[in-house]
Order: sequence, then C-alpha cells, then structure tokens
Amino acid sequence: MPDLQVGAFYNPHLGAELVATSGIDHLAMADPPAAADPHWPAIRERYTLLLHDYLGQLSEPLDERSIRRARDLAALYRSPWVAEHFQCLHTEDGTYNLNYVFPPLYTEEFLGRFTTNAMALQARLDQPLVMENIPGFFDVRASRMPEPVWLQRFFEATGVGFLLDLPHVWLEAHYRGIKAERWLAQFPLEHVIELHVAGVEEDRDLQGPWIAPTEPSDEMLAFMADAVARCPRARAVTFDAFSPSLSMDVLRRSVDRIRAAL
Amino acid sequence: MNDRAVQDLLIRALADAPYRESPEWRSRALADPERVERFARFLARHFYYERIVHFFKYSRALGRITGRQPAAVLSGPAFDALLPTAVLGSRATAQAVAGLVAACVREGESPTQVPYLNDLLRYEAAMMVVEAGARVWTDAGKGDGGRGTGGATPEIVEGTVFLDLAYDLPAVLPQLLKPWTAVPKAVERPTRLLVARSQHGRVAVARSDDTVAAVVQLADGKRTLEQLAAGAGLAVPQLEETLKGLVDLGAVRFWTGS
Repeated sequence: MPDLQVGAFYNPHLGAELVATSGIDHLAMADPPAAADPHWPAIRERYTLLLHDYLGQLSEPLDERSIRRARDLAALYRSPWVAEHFQCLHTEDGTYNLNYVFPPLYTEEFLGRFTTNAMALQARLDQPLVMENIPGFFDVRASRMPEPVWLQRFFEATGVGFLLDLPHVWLEAHYRGIKAERWLAQFPLEHVIELHVAGVEEDRDLQGPWIAPTEPSDEMLAFMADAVARCPRARAVTFDAFSPSLSMDVLRRSVDRIRAAL
Repeated sequence: MNDRAVQDLLIRALADAPYRESPEWRSRALADPERVERFARFLARHFYYERIVHFFKYSRALGRITGRQPAAVLSGPAFDALLPTAVLGSRATAQAVAGLVAACVREGESPTQVPYLNDLLRYEAAMMVVEAGARVWTDAGKGDGGRGTGGATPEIVEGTVFLDLAYDLPAVLPQLLKPWTAVPKAVERPTRLLVARSQHGRVAVARSDDTVAAVVQLADGKRTLEQLAAGAGLAVPQLEETLKGLVDLGAVRFWTGS
C-alpha cells in the first residue's frame, strides 16, 4: 500500500507545533478554523485537509444552507473527499439532541432515507462523499438487519465511499463479546477509502472501553494493519483524536506508530 | 409508528432521564435498560463537557490563578447527583450544570487578582443557559425571523436575557485567551449585555442600553410597531433599525399569529 497517507486531526491548540512538524501527510478538520487562529493560514498552505465536520444527519435531506456550508468548507480545505456519518442523533422536531455518536435503526426505512439523502448530497458536491460507521453500545430490537449488511446495501446503492472507523468496529465487537477480526470481516471493505485509528480507555459510565485522546494500543495497530491489507481502495489512515486534552507528543507518536505498523 | 418515530423515542430516552424511568418508555422494551442507562450517563457527561469547554473557556484560561478547571465538576459527586433528573439540552439542566461550574471556580477564587471573576462566571453561565433549548436543524424555507409584513408584530425570543455587569467584560475577554503573565485587567464600569440565540443555536452577545432594553421588554408579539415605538420613545424608522439588529442577533422575531 505505497500511496497510503497517514495523518491526524487538526487540533487548534496544537497549531504552532503542527505547522513546525513533519511526517504528517494530512489533517482532518472537525471544526471550521476560528477567525482568530493565527496558525490557520500556514496549516492550510502546508497540509492536505479532509473535511470531517458535522454537515447534517442524512436521515433527513440536507437543506440548502447546510449544502452551501459543505460546499464552502470543501472548497476552503481543497478536500479530496467529504466525510459524513451514519448517525441519527437529534429528533425530527429538534427538541432532543445527543450531540455525539448514535447510529440509526438498521431498517429498510432508514436505508432508503440515507441512500436518497446521501445521493442528493453527493450530487451537489464537487468531491466524492465518504460515510463513517458509527458504533452501537446496545442492540435495539427495532433494527431489522445486521449493521454490515445495511452498510453493504447502502454502498452498493449509492457508490459512496466508506470511511472505516476501526475503533468503532473494535468497540462494537468488544460489547458484543466477539472477536474484532471476525466482526470486521463482515463489513464491505472493498468500499473503504479512509480508515480511522484511535486509542481507547476505560470509561466509568460505560464500565468498559471507549475512544479517548490517547495512543492506539499495539493490539489496535495490529488490527489496523490487518484491516488495511483487506481494503484495496484505501488511500489514507487518520489518527482520530480531537480534544483540548490531546498533547502533541501523543499525536506525534501515534502517527509515527501507525506509519510503522503499516 | 414508523422507524423514524421509533428512533426519536430512543434519542429522547438517551437524552431525558425522567423519561427513561417512565412506564411509557419501559413498556416498549426496545433495548436493555441497564445498557441504555450506562450509555445515557456517558452521553450526558460528554454533552456537558463540550459545553463547559466552550462556554467557560475564559475561566479555564484563568485556571492557573483560580486553581480550578471548570470541566472538573463533571467527575464530581454533585454532577452525578444531577444525572437522574438531567434532560440534555434543557434550560433547567444547563442552569444546574452552569451553577456547579461557577461554584467550583468560585471556591478557588482569588478576588484580589481577578476582581471581575463573579461577572465572568455570570457571563459564561448565561451563554450556556441561553444556548439550551430546542433548535431548528433543517430550514423548511419559511424564513422565520424575518422583518415581517402585513401586520406582523415583534416578539422577544424565549431565553433571551439581559446581563448587568459591574465590569466592562467584553473588552477583556479576548485578552484572556492570549498568552499573559499578569492577569488582564477589566475597567470597572456598569455594562449591560444582551445575550440571545438564533433558531439554529448560535449564541450572540451585544452591548445594550436602555432603549434596546425597552424595545425588547415591550416586544410581546401583541404591540404594533407604532405602539412599540411610542413605548420605547423612538421614531418608527429608528425602531425598525433597532429591530433589524435584534432579529439578526436572535433576540426578537416577528409573530404573524399563524
């Protein structure tokens, strides 16, 4: 996989160090740059930037304002592709909002909604759209098909790319009590364009592991190497950590260790 | 009930602790209640971590003086005690969490070094509380919030607040986020701010005066422009200019009575 790019997320509090460092191929942008960010012009000049903002949940059609924002950000970043998530985290009436990852029900209705709305968004973008898998912490009885089957059907229907978040797969396997490699094998890896890798730590609410702004373990890196070998279209691996508590040392070491493990 | 409506029930259950305890939710048996509760608590901590980091960033910058980091409250027993009644995104829960943060930072207060700390905490808490509430995620193209025509009357948007401070806080806030050795000073001068939120959730702050305050307080959705102008002591063109700024800020909208 000689052309695989290895990068991280842009964390504005590390802006000065990211401008000065080398060996990081790209930065994913989770938020637009702040107007007062003194490092943004150099970051934009220096790096390939990947649009990874929240654009909207594709269980509903994106409105014109959201599409314009997505187009403007993609143009600003000169992003090679645009990412969104398989998530449905606020109610239709706007009353409740979880503000964090939560997947849709894996049903025909939601497959139709995401397929239609992703294709409508793709038609308005100048870059390819990729969609990221979102982990479930618990099974919902109203889901009607396994997540990998639902994803396979989505990607086949839309031609959209797959942003494979490996810790999400690893966590789901953990909470299902199955081996991560066995769970991963069911996902449609032939559609993967980008992979996310991250560290996990024990969370006291979940009473188990969850993604944290820490280095990926050796186990996670081995899982990544195995996954990448099965993703023939993969173009980039991104260390997925975006937090004010992330240190440059952790970011730097994580990128180096990802590169070494590939 | 379609699948989208079922998804809304799940989202509500994760966001709304009292609803999770209700027979209505429990009788649906959609998921393992113990797993749902663990994930809901995890989401609550994450939800308010993001807001504390954002809205209390100035207190965070003063952490080396106060000895307190605002987000530390999330790992304390007082936050745990809130969880059984928490409703993510509600004003009541935002008020309660902001109160915990302010109390935590005040405990480490060094009043001689940061004389405006009390104002600062009130400002940050107000921002967090104003941000709470239902929002519009997808525009339906109705253009709510426009200038209004055909007899539309201006109305204060729920949640809009005035903040009367002893110090000129807006002048010092940008300095707090830059590198400093001595604590940036604020001028002691009565300052009135208007804090409002757009329908999409953007919180904005503007300096206010007695005229603006009068307009906002009289904008009840019933008074006409002429009545409002008379009450605020403004000519109608002046009132229209003031209202334009207030609509842009999110403090006032036009009520069409539909």
